Amino acid sequence: MLIFKNPDTIINALLEASTSSFELCLSLVGIYAVWLGIISIVDKCGLGEKLSNFLSPIIKKLFKTNNKEADKYIAINLSSNILGLGNAATPSGIKAMQLLDDKSGKITHSGIVLLLINSISIQILPTTVIGLRQTAGSTNPTNIILPTIITSFFTLIFVLFCIFLIKKLRAKKI
Amino acid sequence: MSVYIFPTLIVFLLVYAFIKKVNVYNSFVDGVKGAIGLCVNIFPYIVAIMCAVALFRISGLANILINILSPIFSFLGIPTEVSGLVLLRPFTGSGSFALLNDIYSTYGVDTYISKCASCIMGSSETLFYVATVYTSKTSIKKLSYAIPIGILANIFSSIAACLICKII
Repeated sequence: MLIFKNPDTIINALLEASTSSFELCLSLVGIYAVWLGIISIVDKCGLGEKLSNFLSPIIKKLFKTNNKEADKYIAINLSSNILGLGNAATPSGIKAMQLLDDKSGKITHSGIVLLLINSISIQILPTTVIGLRQTAGSTNPTNIILPTIITSFFTLIFVLFCIFLIKKLRAKKI
Repeated sequence: MSVYIFPTLIVFLLVYAFIKKVNVYNSFVDGVKGAIGLCVNIFPYIVAIMCAVALFRISGLANILINILSPIFSFLGIPTEVSGLVLLRPFTGSGSFALLNDIYSTYGVDTYISKCASCIMGSSETLFYVATVYTSKTSIKKLSYAIPIGILANIFSSIAACLICKII
């Protein structure tokens, strides 16, 4: 109904969205190529396993996985998220998600945890925002670091609590 | 400082690979092979979500939603000035960064409003984009309760951000 107010803009907007998606994908091919290459080296060195062993107490507790391979990619995903290497987080996250998939068409518990942790930012340094503030001429561009970390921390706890609560409620129903 | 993280990691990785006698070149090429396939796989999903977001914005639905939600947001302690950002954030990364820049130039970068907006931006992610891309290579069609909790978390982090910015 609202669409008919300015009908000519619709097709333009859609085409523009589609074109920019293609451009995005094209640039992602380059970006992911580099990161997948690096992740592959990390993997071959056995660093992925080391990382997942190091993080395994947390991963076991949060994700409740019993898939060593998936643990490895979750470990890479989490560490790159924390370091703010978002472009490394995505390919490893997709890989982990594939390994967590039980082919039923429904997302698993571990999948939900992975998705939600990736959809809130657990990055320690919000580099892009700081950069933007600097460009905008802020006198103190880094003074948002502390509030951002505190907010992220509380949000993480909130999300984990929600997942825990839903699991409890569902268990009761069944 | 953060600019040094990546180069340091790379140097460390190469040295480590050398010690472990891993063929760096072959492993790298092996990994790269997957890149095109990965992007071909996620392409349709990215187009779909981008088109949906474009329609959402251009149809005026976004503005209507902002108008409806603003009073509720301000009741929850989120200033009206940033409610557009709260709403846009889960959908598009580039769009919300553009909006953040707008907020900086409209209200001044060192004001409480801008601080709130920065904090909201830094402590959340593009939920719908992540959800589509991450599940694009799996059989997953039903996301169960992931999206509702994601939205709830988004609102929660916005409220928390505004509150924490007031205190600090």
